[in-house]
Amino acid sequence: MDEVKTDMLVIGSGAAGLAASVYAAESNQQILVIDKGAIGRSGSTVGAIQIASLGSWSHPEDSLEAYREDISDSGRGLSSPVLTDILVQDISDRIEDLLQWGLKLDKNVHNDILVAATSGHTLPRSISSKKGKTGLAILQVLTKKARKRNNIQRWSDVITLELVKANERVAGAVVLDLKKNKPYLIRCKAVILATGGIGQLYPITSNPAQSTGDGFALSLAAGASLVDMEQIQFYPVSLINPPSLSGLCLSFYHSAKLYNRNGERFMKKYEPETMENTTRDKLAIAIASEVEGGLGTPNGGVWVDAAENIEEVKRQFHHEYQLCLDRGLDFERHQAEAGPAAHFIMGGVLIDRNAASTMPGLYVVGESAGGLHGGNRLGNNALSECVVFGARAGMSAAREITQMSSITADVPLQTNKADKLIAVISNSGQGSERSYTCKKAVSELMGKYVGVVRSTEGLLQAKKELYAIEEKLAHVKIMSSPNFYSKEIVDYVEALHMVTTAHAVVEAALTRKESRGAHYNKDFPAQLTEAEHTIVKIENGKMTVQEEGEI
Amino acid sequence: MNQLVVKIDRSEMRTDQFEIDLRSGMTVLEAVDAIYFYHDPSLAYRYSCRTGLCTTCMMLINGKPGLSCMTIAEPGEDGILHLAPLPRGKNIKDLIQEV
Ligand SMILES: Cc1cc2nc3c(=O)[nH]c(=O)nc-3n(C[C@H](O)[C@H](O)[C@H](O)COP(=O)(O)OP(=O)(O)OC[C@H]3O[C@@H](n4cnc5c(N)ncnc54)[C@H](O)[C@@H]3O)c2cc1C
Ligand code: FES
Repeated sequence: MDEVKTDMLVIGSGAAGLAASVYAAESNQQILVIDKGAIGRSGSTVGAIQIASLGSWSHPEDSLEAYREDISDSGRGLSSPVLTDILVQDISDRIEDLLQWGLKLDKNVHNDILVAATSGHTLPRSISSKKGKTGLAILQVLTKKARKRNNIQRWSDVITLELVKANERVAGAVVLDLKKNKPYLIRCKAVILATGGIGQLYPITSNPAQSTGDGFALSLAAGASLVDMEQIQFYPVSLINPPSLSGLCLSFYHSAKLYNRNGERFMKKYEPETMENTTRDKLAIAIASEVEGGLGTPNGGVWVDAAENIEEVKRQFHHEYQLCLDRGLDFERHQAEAGPAAHFIMGGVLIDRNAASTMPGLYVVGESAGGLHGGNRLGNNALSECVVFGARAGMSAAREITQMSSITADVPLQTNKADKLIAVISNSGQGSERSYTCKKAVSELMGKYVGVVRSTEGLLQAKKELYAIEEKLAHVKIMSSPNFYSKEIVDYVEALHMVTTAHAVVEAALTRKESRGAHYNKDFPAQLTEAEHTIVKIENGKMTVQEEGEI
Repeated sequence: MNQLVVKIDRSEMRTDQFEIDLRSGMTVLEAVDAIYFYHDPSLAYRYSCRTGLCTTCMMLINGKPGLSCMTIAEPGEDGILHLAPLPRGKNIKDLIQEV
């Protein structure tokens, strides 16, 4: 296998991966950032609208303490106090850096920085750029900065198959350059993993095509621990119809009204005080319960009506409004079918204050990391997490590897897993299963059994079906030529990562015998007094779960 | 269900024609997806956000550059939907250009 050498490998080029690269590059170490899609244009970051932060725009009553408390309340006992402290302490400095590098914040009519209120934040602290295309704006600023550094190399269309280790330390990765399906062994001193979330594990999702949970599977196989993987945020009000917009988040839901099939404004049964303007976990559970109770719309959602506040919707959420209008859905005149869509995973790789995982040599940032948001992520804290922990990981990994002498030379040349995977691809002419169909099967079973409302029986069924899909994947049929870019090969690698990650979610969900945050099991509807974390690992080739009080 | 004829300029000077089931409101990206799922799994194309933001799904649609996720699948003047990679840049395969 051909080899590539670099000091630091960054996997994923969303806000987290690019922030890590840019801050790491201050050290003069050589940094290689790779992405399975187009660099800087393939993650969830692209779609993000606002970012929460303290700063000169802060409300007079806002403070580190107030922000910290909001995160901790929202986390339902599962937010790590250490990570929360760091987020609230570091965020204003990181926004300052971005502003210095060219980020421009949106202003109101008085030319003051526009600050928006967001459900669950007790004070308004959400700011934006490029008229609500904040994720894109941050990516552009970071990309510009990265281009200026000649110690950052960028490589698009290359998918990670496996992390490799030397002397019990992550020291590289086996990747597949999708342009020619050529495998490479990348040798480095540290890896920063920033591969985003898991939306594609579900049939309805707001997430981009690339959110197939690769990073969780890669980290597990490398020996790192995952925390609270059962905590998956479903964006409560996302379009179900038309199919081309399935999963589109309706950011204006707090000013819209929701009705069940009988025309009843059902939130009065669940949250009479806040009604629709409640946190995402509660709203998603309410909607899913209506649908479960037979009160859903024909396509299994509820009706959303935004006519009353349509002017506000047009003004503040213009992109969404226009997008719907272009597909024949005019919120001024029509109600739409909406329901919960897989949006964000609060769980993820267990990290410390500098984003180091439990496996030496492996740092994990952004949505792939777990522990900060606990049982429910507050809106607009995801981008904040990306820049804060991206920066920390970049700087701290650079510090660590500056002291290391040379790139470890004794990484095993080919690892078992990647070897097998490449062999299956080479022999796939004889197979019978489409990789795309396997991906679809994973998302369907996750939607059915591991969605908003779960049951122990359903989770056990999910586990069984996942094993069956795993079996099928061993007999994959790839009809396209392996010498050129092949979507079938991408789908195959992603399907493998999806199955491992789905297993981790199911195991964690089976272990949490209560309902807490985004995890709702109707067999255990109550929340226990003590909050425990679920920790998933792979030990001696077997997936294990433990419960731990503190992380 | 209506049928739509889609003609795609692919790698190595190849042009292929497919006939797909057309749903109302179907986007070009959904049409390309349908070809990959049901007609030709070797078709290569790129997309990410499906909401008009990332621009990675850009291709020539009936001769004009456009975002496939944002454009409704409709035949051109000759009754056929024509798709081709963007003319600029190096082609990786079929509808995918190097970034
Ligand atoms: C529609 C939408 C709207 C949102 N709005 C907001 C908002 O307003 N405010 C907010 O704070 N948060 C929001 N979020 C959440 C937030 O955008 C994400 O959590 C965050 O941007 C994740 O960033 P990231 O860098 O961790 O990952 P991503 O941006 O998802 O990037 C991950 C990258 O890794 C690459 N990758 C994945 N696997 C591999 C592999 N195996 N090999 C190589 N590369 C790989 C992907 O191609 C991708 O480019 C929103 C999310 C969505 C989907
Ligand atoms: S897929 Fe992102 S713009 Fe079309």
